[in-house]
Amino acid sequence: MNTKERVKTFLQENLVLMTIVILVVATALIEPKFLTVANLGNLMNQFGPLSFVALGMTITIIGGYIDLSVAGIVSLSAVFTISMVDVLGQTGALLAGLAAGALMGLLNALVVVSCGALTQAKALFMTYALSAVYSAAALLYTDGATQHMSHLTSPTTLFKGIGSGKAGFIPVSFLLFFVIMFVLHLFLTRTQTGREVQLTGANITATDMVGVPVKKRVALVYVLSGVLSAFGAIVLFSRITTASPLLGANYETNAILAVVVGGTSLAGGRGSVIRTMLGVMLVTLLSNCLNLLGISTYIQSVCKGIILIIAIWIDRRRTK
Amino acid sequence: MTSKSSSDLILSMKHINKAFPGVKALDDVSLEVRRGVVHGIVGENGAGKSTLMKILSGVYTKDSGTIEFDGQTVEATSPMESLRMGLSIIYQEFSLVNSMTVGENIFLGRFREAGGMKGTHQKAKALLDKIGSSIPTHRLVSELSTSEKQMVEIAKALSFQSKLIIMDEPSSSLTEEELAGLGVIINQLREQGISTIYISHKLDEIFEYCDYVTVMRDGHVIDTRPVAELNRKDMVGMMVGRTIENEYPERPHCVGTPLMQVKNLNTRKLHDISFTLNRGEILGLVGLVGAGRTEIVRAIYGADKVKQKEIRIDGKDVKIVSPQDGKKCGMAFVPEDRKQQGLVLPFSVESNISMASLSNLKNGVFLSKGKERKMAENKISELLIKTSSPQTAVVGLSGGNQQKCILGRWLETGPKILILDEPTRGIDVGAKYEIYLLMKKTVEAGSSIILISSELPEVLNMSNRVLTVADGRITGEFDPEKTSAQEIMNRAIG
Repeated sequence: MNTKERVKTFLQENLVLMTIVILVVATALIEPKFLTVANLGNLMNQFGPLSFVALGMTITIIGGYIDLSVAGIVSLSAVFTISMVDVLGQTGALLAGLAAGALMGLLNALVVVSCGALTQAKALFMTYALSAVYSAAALLYTDGATQHMSHLTSPTTLFKGIGSGKAGFIPVSFLLFFVIMFVLHLFLTRTQTGREVQLTGANITATDMVGVPVKKRVALVYVLSGVLSAFGAIVLFSRITTASPLLGANYETNAILAVVVGGTSLAGGRGSVIRTMLGVMLVTLLSNCLNLLGISTYIQSVCKGIILIIAIWIDRRRTK
Repeated sequence: MTSKSSSDLILSMKHINKAFPGVKALDDVSLEVRRGVVHGIVGENGAGKSTLMKILSGVYTKDSGTIEFDGQTVEATSPMESLRMGLSIIYQEFSLVNSMTVGENIFLGRFREAGGMKGTHQKAKALLDKIGSSIPTHRLVSELSTSEKQMVEIAKALSFQSKLIIMDEPSSSLTEEELAGLGVIINQLREQGISTIYISHKLDEIFEYCDYVTVMRDGHVIDTRPVAELNRKDMVGMMVGRTIENEYPERPHCVGTPLMQVKNLNTRKLHDISFTLNRGEILGLVGLVGAGRTEIVRAIYGADKVKQKEIRIDGKDVKIVSPQDGKKCGMAFVPEDRKQQGLVLPFSVESNISMASLSNLKNGVFLSKGKERKMAENKISELLIKTSSPQTAVVGLSGGNQQKCILGRWLETGPKILILDEPTRGIDVGAKYEIYLLMKKTVEAGSSIILISSELPEVLNMSNRVLTVADGRITGEFDPEKTSAQEIMNRAIG
């Protein structure tokens, strides 16, 4: 490999990291407030709910599928968890919420597998339909009313800790994210099951033929996605102390944005949760920078869309 | 070759070089093709045939060298430009749109120049008539047989006024009868003054159809000669760089006691399949494409749903409903479609080899990278897999080496029953011989093999026993050492 090719490969592999560095330097030059401890804590805080949903999405996409139902899962598990606090106590409610997420993930997997959806495109439509079901269930469950943590009689200290607690200047939610990401990274890269998930994502037929239980692996990725989405929902409502039955709207788009921008291939089999962390970082940094620079949210949405398109374009070039 | 005036030549490629990271794919390659001849190119996989053709058609760019086509120097080109110049390539995997009609496919993207839909179908019919085909132009491509699709590809090539048509392994999915049809078409092209480059592993076809042949090996052109001057042994010798006395090793003779009994296997396509496989035996399944050979082994392995089946291995009834069960019973399956069902193409040689034995690589809960590397390196040296490193993506390997990766993957599991479905399809003579030797070694170590192959000589020379399959039934059982090929084929036709 000559120097030119090496530089090209390095740039391709580390494009996100470079962009992040450029963004940080540029914003710090223009806006000195950016590099203060307060803003750094604020940045890590913004990692919050999306980062968990994006982790689940990463694993689903590496497994060769996609999960558009995360929006519905976030909404339903949020309102469900709040409603359970006075019934089961806060720890019980937390576990029940996560279990609900897992159950919805399992349902996703059952539908996808039993319909014989071997492609991402088919799974895309099915999970989109299921998202509508979960969202409607959230509306039915609450009669359309927003749930308030302040209306609860039981203590909610656990949720407050998860949502806005801090260890020093580092938010608890960020620490939790970091630990979960690390565990998932080990799972994907170092365990047999993790390897099998990757193989399934790259070629489900060939992986099936060597005797890997591919259906179980597909179920696993959807359950993980469900649990992580539910956890994201818990972080979210704990922070804003209310949960509307439409809480999760647009989470699927932002999660896919973070995953793809991070460089996990939509083709399946290739990617990592660490890349997704960089993706989430880029997305949050960008909106943080744009906010500091006083740019309107409408323009910010346009930017996000453009970035997603560029990221998919780069992904296509890479897989070719 | 003797020098001749350039107007005799349709194509002249000189001193072509092409390197990929780590590999010199073409090293100072020169090729001249005369007008109106059929020019064969043979060589083992990885010899550089495909790379050369891809440079010609504009898929790859050359590092250096000159190309002259029809008297004009060709610089950087694209696949569409080369079509317009009069150079078409028909790949092994066809480029037709299944959901469109024959006529539409022939003039795809050029309906206006063809004079609308009416003109398209009229002109398409004229082209098909020219090559003696009577496929209705309004039929959907998805309804066509492989050979009919090939006809459509050829008609499409002619529609561009092609002066040179390159056929890459055209016969790999044709039946004997369809192959004869292809021969007629090639002769017609020759009569019309159109040159053909015919790439094939099958030497019989080279001798039958080609006027000249160029032998390539390891990115070099070894020689270009009129076919009439060569015999089979010379050609094989040039291809592999050594003389191969025999195409097949001596048949192994180590058949033992019964190992597996299959009884009353019934599916929608198969009827009352019952047979026994013995220890140390190579059992060949012979039949036409679509007769049900692949379905039989897939059903046994648990890859397909069945209505009824009874399988006994080592005298014990076993229940096999998924490939997982099949593997647990000591089976290994090398599928017919290497790229779709066998390999995980973007992954490394290493992980393709290890994927059936991941549970042996554990160090506590984690996979040991060291053990995995060692497993891969052992298999690479044992099976002589040519790869620059265990980390190389398997997609970049030649067909023979890819197949060896799949074999290595399964041999690592120590299978009792090795199922080989078309194990040598699209593989060159040298690699084939190595695979035959591996089969021999496997049965001599006590395992059994079920062999499916469309190449009759292969089954007849390697098997201890042959079952003929026709229309989803087993129609006969033969000892290939005592029965003639003719007799077996007659029974296979049903």
